[in-house]
Amino acid sequence: MVAEGAAGAGSPAGGEIRLDALSVVFGRGANALLAVDRVSASVAAGEFVCLLGPSGCGKSTVMNVIAGFEVPSQGRVTLDGEPVTGPGPDRGMVFQKPTLFPWKSVRDNVAHGPRMQGLSTKEARKVADEFLALVGLRAFANSRPDTLSGGMQQRVGIARALTPRPKVLLMDEPFGALDAQTRSMMQENLLRIWVEQRPTVVFVTHDIDEAIFLADRVLIMSARPGRIVEEITVTLPRPRDPSVLLTPEFLAIKQLCYAPVRRESLRSFEQGSSVGEGQGSV
Amino acid sequence: MTSTSSRTPRDAAAAARRHDALRRGLTVFSVPLFLCLWEAVSRSGVVNIVLFPPPSTVAVALVDWIQSGEFFDDFWMSLSRVVIGFILGALAGSIVGVLTGRYELLAALLSPVFQLLRPIPPIAFVPIVILWFGLGETGKYFLVFWGVFFTVWIAAHIGVQKVDPGVIRAAKSLGTPERRMLREVLIPGALPYIVVGLRTSISVSFYTLVAAELAGTFAGLAYRIDIAQQNLQMGKMLAGLVVLGAISAAADRLFEFAARRLVWW
Repeated sequence: MVAEGAAGAGSPAGGEIRLDALSVVFGRGANALLAVDRVSASVAAGEFVCLLGPSGCGKSTVMNVIAGFEVPSQGRVTLDGEPVTGPGPDRGMVFQKPTLFPWKSVRDNVAHGPRMQGLSTKEARKVADEFLALVGLRAFANSRPDTLSGGMQQRVGIARALTPRPKVLLMDEPFGALDAQTRSMMQENLLRIWVEQRPTVVFVTHDIDEAIFLADRVLIMSARPGRIVEEITVTLPRPRDPSVLLTPEFLAIKQLCYAPVRRESLRSFEQGSSVGEGQGSV
Repeated sequence: MTSTSSRTPRDAAAAARRHDALRRGLTVFSVPLFLCLWEAVSRSGVVNIVLFPPPSTVAVALVDWIQSGEFFDDFWMSLSRVVIGFILGALAGSIVGVLTGRYELLAALLSPVFQLLRPIPPIAFVPIVILWFGLGETGKYFLVFWGVFFTVWIAAHIGVQKVDPGVIRAAKSLGTPERRMLREVLIPGALPYIVVGLRTSISVSFYTLVAAELAGTFAGLAYRIDIAQQNLQMGKMLAGLVVLGAISAAADRLFEFAARRLVWW
């Protein structure tokens, strides 16, 4: 379903994700590599969950399975009870790289989703403008993507992912390539959008502060093969602003996260692996 | 501020400006200087002026050629052969390349054959083309087509495969149906590669034109060079080369100008 009217209209129904003993093996025979090992988790509709873990731990792989780009070797993923069989507009995807269509204007990038859902170009552009306003880039609608800064491109990417009114927004280290100040603004911006649109968000990061600042719940993943080793509920009140990072409550939660993240990062470091991660695409 | 060096920043800036002015001057005078040198060498007596006529003689020959009325026939015949052969080869090459780049099975079927045919120089086809098509225009188009097709095919094929997989994933997750992937994502994504292939094949099509016209025809720039040789008209031969070079260069520049505006990404 395409947004009818305002980008700010109510929350999409549903969006509950269940991961059921999910395993992913890359390669076969002697070269087989267990990337994800029996990951089970569920994410409630409208919840904001961060997957936190060292690079190479398989968090992007989990994400790709939910997105439908990767087929699990075992187990399954369901969205509102329906098994995921491939990518689709009910799950918006934001990658580490903005992956905008370089040949389209900012507006037409954002209008792509609505057009694919059957709107005329004119209607789709109207929807695009509303979503561009949501990320504060209405004034750049006619610009070429390559003329925007990294942070702005990423906001276009978020607006684009939101246009089909996805039940789920999957974000794979979307702010990883941005400088600290920009990243902080992007996080606030994202929370504001999340409150307005209320999709379920699964957000992959290796940054503890980012995970806690954003999430309702943080799932910490182990070094390869990726398993969920810790689940931490973030009780910080919302709306949050960056000053929350200095509160004792925040630091207490950070302390809970620190030990397992440190341990798994060391293990990952000793494996000498950053296979398939870092670029966020594979 | 004290400076122990005799070169202050101000001096350096002045030197840079002088360097810049010199560079621009040399660019402007490059071709005239070449012509003067050519003229001087031809008239110096070191070379045979009949076999190596100076540019002034070539210019006179060109004017004669134009006044004889043959020139425009030759020019249009050559141009139309290049343009028609190029357009047919470019269209077919792009379409087939995009398809083989996208559909593995089609690539598996066609690529081995194309890779076998591609290295055959179009010139080697000339004798066969005469038997197949006679001395008519079809054979000329065919030869230019042959030269262009494979160059563009391989560029389009690679171009489709080089489209950023992240962009393809983004398109899929936005609900782009499979049947619209080509038009919405893969073709625009491959266009920068296709443009490079097309530009290369502009010069390829001029090489092939020469082969095509030597194969027997009744008008054309390369044909005229051939005839001029038989009459030992050195000036006219060189004029033919100059004109071929000029249109080829103009076509290249024009294409680049248009491509930069139309395919900016």
